Amino acid sequence: MSISQTTETHAPPSKLLTGGKKLATSFVVILTTLLGLLVITFVVGRMVPADPVIAVIGDQADQATYDRVYKEMGLDRPLYVQFGNYLSDVVQLDFGQSIVTKKPVAEDLARVFPATMELATLATLIGACFGIPLGVIAAVHKGTWIDHTARVVGLLGYSTPIFWLGTIVILVFYAHFGLIPPGGRIYVYDEGLVQARTNSIIIDSILAGQWQVFWSAIHHLITPAIILGYAAMAYLSRMSRSFMLEQLRQEYILTARAKGLGQRPIVWRHAFRNIRVQLLTVVALAYCGLLDGTVLIETVFAWPGLGQYLTSALFVSDMNAVLGSVLLIGIISIAINLLSDIVYRFIDPRTR
Amino acid sequence: MLRRNLAILASVAALSLGTGVATAKTPQDQLVIAMAMSSIRGLDPQEINQFEAAEVVANLYDRLIALPPDRITEPQPSLAESWTVSEDGKTFTFKIRQGVTFHSGNPLTARDAEWSLHRLVKLGLAPSTDLRQWGFSAKNVDQLIRATDDYTLVVETPGVWNANLILYSLGSFSTSIVDRKLLMEREKNGDWGREYLQSADAGSGPYSLETWRANQLMSADAFENYWQGKPAMRRVFISNMPESSAQRLQIDAGDIDVATRLSSTDLGGLERDGKVTVQKTPGIGFYYLALNQKDEILSNPKVREAFRYLIDYDGLAATVMKYYGNKQQTIIPAGLPGSNTENPYKLDIDKAKQLLAEAGYPDGFSKVYYATPVTPEFEVAQSLQANAAKAGIRLDLQGGDHIGKFRNREFQLFSARSGDRLPDPHAVLQSYATNSNNSDEAKLTGLNAWRTAWEVPKDIQDMVVTAAHETDQEKRVELYHKINEAYLAASPALVTSFQRTDAKAVRTEVKGYVGHPTWLTRWDTVTKSE
Repeated sequence: MSISQTTETHAPPSKLLTGGKKLATSFVVILTTLLGLLVITFVVGRMVPADPVIAVIGDQADQATYDRVYKEMGLDRPLYVQFGNYLSDVVQLDFGQSIVTKKPVAEDLARVFPATMELATLATLIGACFGIPLGVIAAVHKGTWIDHTARVVGLLGYSTPIFWLGTIVILVFYAHFGLIPPGGRIYVYDEGLVQARTNSIIIDSILAGQWQVFWSAIHHLITPAIILGYAAMAYLSRMSRSFMLEQLRQEYILTARAKGLGQRPIVWRHAFRNIRVQLLTVVALAYCGLLDGTVLIETVFAWPGLGQYLTSALFVSDMNAVLGSVLLIGIISIAINLLSDIVYRFIDPRTR
Repeated sequence: MLRRNLAILASVAALSLGTGVATAKTPQDQLVIAMAMSSIRGLDPQEINQFEAAEVVANLYDRLIALPPDRITEPQPSLAESWTVSEDGKTFTFKIRQGVTFHSGNPLTARDAEWSLHRLVKLGLAPSTDLRQWGFSAKNVDQLIRATDDYTLVVETPGVWNANLILYSLGSFSTSIVDRKLLMEREKNGDWGREYLQSADAGSGPYSLETWRANQLMSADAFENYWQGKPAMRRVFISNMPESSAQRLQIDAGDIDVATRLSSTDLGGLERDGKVTVQKTPGIGFYYLALNQKDEILSNPKVREAFRYLIDYDGLAATVMKYYGNKQQTIIPAGLPGSNTENPYKLDIDKAKQLLAEAGYPDGFSKVYYATPVTPEFEVAQSLQANAAKAGIRLDLQGGDHIGKFRNREFQLFSARSGDRLPDPHAVLQSYATNSNNSDEAKLTGLNAWRTAWEVPKDIQDMVVTAAHETDQEKRVELYHKINEAYLAASPALVTSFQRTDAKAVRTEVKGYVGHPTWLTRWDTVTKSE
């Protein structure tokens, strides 16, 4: 090795180089995560006792039909070849075909994901709009009845199973009082009135000027979103409370009080500013959790989203659909985390 | 901030709750059916093989023959307005109805019928057995099934079979007549339009497909030019609703008209309330227990006989099976020629113990027992497990989808429910009572008797084959009576306990929605009263 080369190797990296290296490292980590996710799902999927061929042809079919479909589905090849083929298709953005819908999985995901996104987004908004102020107020009034009430409300939301709560809400507000719809995204008779452009019924109905469908969609969305939002609120209020308590113990707060600043500016202008980055992280986490955790609420409210798509695919060993859904969830989680990373930099100069 | 948010939320909630509530009941001219749609794998009549999908296909398409639900064994004219059978019983000549059009507007002719039946045999998918079992193959079908002119179709069978068997097959969903011209336009790489038909329709039935979102929603509109007149229900919806409790709440509130996936508890509750009628449609199949005859203990006839005394027929009939089955221990489903109501077995633990002792197992034995973890199959399995334990048989009951293991003979005990589509004893007997080659290599995986490795007594197998070829109906019925008795006496390795019934709840104001034993429930007969 020449001296010049050694010198080059030990030279301090430029800012640009460090940034590039960081980017490359992140990229490798993301790819490895996604690959790991796919490998595990693929292997677990193959260990499930359900026979995907029988799921397609039915129990009564003869052996010749079975063998033919077995080959058609590529199951006669070794597992690693099957996975290799799948991977090379995925790289070309081909996620294969679902055995249930008989459509490309990518097309199915484009149809079901907006439904989940509508639900998770509204739930996160509800959770954040109520949970954060509740947590902050509880922290400010620590030890008083306000704090105790907020904590009880939070604890209930934290510990109540969503499945149970959803069922009770349907029993009371649908079956008994007839105030809410039974489930689904819109009334079945409103189907077909709006052409699917974005697959978000709210947006599509606005674009089409179909206000009957729009209200039908809002009417169906609000109950599951409130239930999910309540769970998110519980989590966010607890986190906000503890972040805020920590800030309120800091010396700069004491200084601010000594300067004669009022309670409201101290809390909202000073303390709250300093917990924004932490809050952003937990809101992002809550959003991720809601995007991939709506399975139960989607089942209770017959919400045709990603959770329902994934579970029904699992039951019939529709592996392309399962792998596609898992991959999408992985990508979304990573994307939200990356996005919150970027937003930090705008909010908090120290992280730049 | 909290107060402001609360105010906003309250107003949005109030606004949204205030809309739509009044529209909760199904409209007078529309029918809403709740189903578990995940079992519907596409809508190609020559590919599907499931109960739920068959109901959709039954309404998008017509067939040459109709099998009315109340006279299931009497073939009636449909697209074929008449037919004749040659003296040797091998040639069927159908006169095709004139003036029938497909939803596309194309006229329906004998060429379409010929093409549809060729398509079924040549695609060779699961339902092709409906024609293949009579000797049709991809090689001979062009010669044997042919349109001699636009309105005459000739079907020649390679051998002599009872005429009803052929006619029943031509009334099955798999022999639905598809729009040849449309599908040839939509064909891709010689697929006979298979890809297109996964989510579209090419039929002439009373309803044409409007919306198809797999596993979510189907809507179909009444066909204006239907040859039997436009149906009363302007639009029919199928909504995906896998949960029994959700179906119960919604049919009770009137948000759906028909519920098809209800537990016995929910059916019982609804029936008591009086808002629905519960239909129990007898099917061509059984709840059965399979004892693998490759297992030394289970192949002992006395052990097989002991299991017949360990099933709590009456207890189950009054509870979990109230809506899902009728007690039946013989092999020909009730309502078909040759069936009888003889049920000589009852739960008798002492008798079972005695038989086990005689077989040389006074202390019982341990076995693994596979059962499908769905209602009511699993409850039936749990009941057997409990009674077997009392007789000293320790059954390790494992839920899960084990049908693949059953097909490959990799089990000890297995129980499930079967369903066939021909309203004839032969449909069941072929699977339960014929096994022409019991070797592993034969791989007759479509037959329950082979799966169970059961050497069915030769006289039973011979009688089943003879009866299928017998053209004299009286002689045939006589043979089926004999088969029924011989099967019961044979201590079969396939123990039947209940004839399958399919239960549906229908709102009382809905008339004419009638469950069909071979899965062809029609919507064009439906009306709604005030």
